[in-house]
Amino acid sequence: MAEHVILFAGPMGAGKTTAIESLSEIETIRTEATNTDRETADKDTTTVALDYGEITVGDDDKVRLYGVPGQRRFNFMWTILKERAVGLVLLVNNDAADPIRELDEFLEEFGELHEKGGIVVCVTRSDVAPTPYLDKYAERIREVMPGRMIPVFTADARNGDQMRTALMSLIANIEITAMIADNQERAA
Amino acid sequence: MTEQVSAQQVSAHKDPVVIAFANEVLDGFSDVCKSLRYATFLTDDGFEVASIAGDEKQNRRVASMASSMQALGDAVARDLRIGGAEYIIIAAETGYVIQMRVPEHAMVLAAHFDAAETVGKALSVARLAASNMRTMVQEKAA
Repeated sequence: MAEHVILFAGPMGAGKTTAIESLSEIETIRTEATNTDRETADKDTTTVALDYGEITVGDDDKVRLYGVPGQRRFNFMWTILKERAVGLVLLVNNDAADPIRELDEFLEEFGELHEKGGIVVCVTRSDVAPTPYLDKYAERIREVMPGRMIPVFTADARNGDQMRTALMSLIANIEITAMIADNQERAA
Repeated sequence: MTEQVSAQQVSAHKDPVVIAFANEVLDGFSDVCKSLRYATFLTDDGFEVASIAGDEKQNRRVASMASSMQALGDAVARDLRIGGAEYIIIAAETGYVIQMRVPEHAMVLAAHFDAAETVGKALSVARLAASNMRTMVQEKAA
């Protein structure tokens, strides 16, 4: 049985907790606190440590889903959780003040996960804010991480099917990366 | 997740009156407990309200970490169905950290004591400080 640890990262209010909730087959573990930073995101609560959920893929591959807090003041949790992760679902809410800058910042922080397995970008809340369009995200990814294959989706974090599509795409990338590494090792 | 809502309208870490209360409580705290090395009041979501000792950067970092610890403690207690987490103790070689929520408020006290203190006394004075903070904030709201 293979196990994958996947991180869900992105700015506060992008839908990380909701995405894990909609994907998980177990009751999720949440660590939310009353949000006193309404200027950044107008919501009642915010994740301050992690979210955790699990999903089985294929016959018996277990995928552990960890959500990290969106605020930089919790970046010690980013470091802790990054260590075991082999992939990243990066959620960016399109209604953020500057979503492309958010994309930049999170790719800078978590970009190394591409080498460990893969990254997918999910643009959320595009129903609320239709722009920037996906090609802007794709263009920026090509600029900051040239030569890397990073799929970009629009997704509603509440929609389990949409989130599953993004997750499956990531897992396929992780498995291909692992297979290539395996072949290279054997050839060497 | 804490269900209680603080009586103050402005977030505690931005409210000068609450910050002044927190400083007053922390001063009293260090007077009654000489083994106290560091203490901070923080909001549940990890903003420093007031601290004694420590530099600005360290205080902000401790506030964030204590917020995460508190939430993880709550999550464990919730998952085991053992009620709300009353306090968290981290025992290390040369001291320990006690943290607990200010009752009925979205605020946490985190305090670092050196190893000379007994856990019992440290816990007792930390409870008193958290309780004093609650009283002051409630009196302000009344």
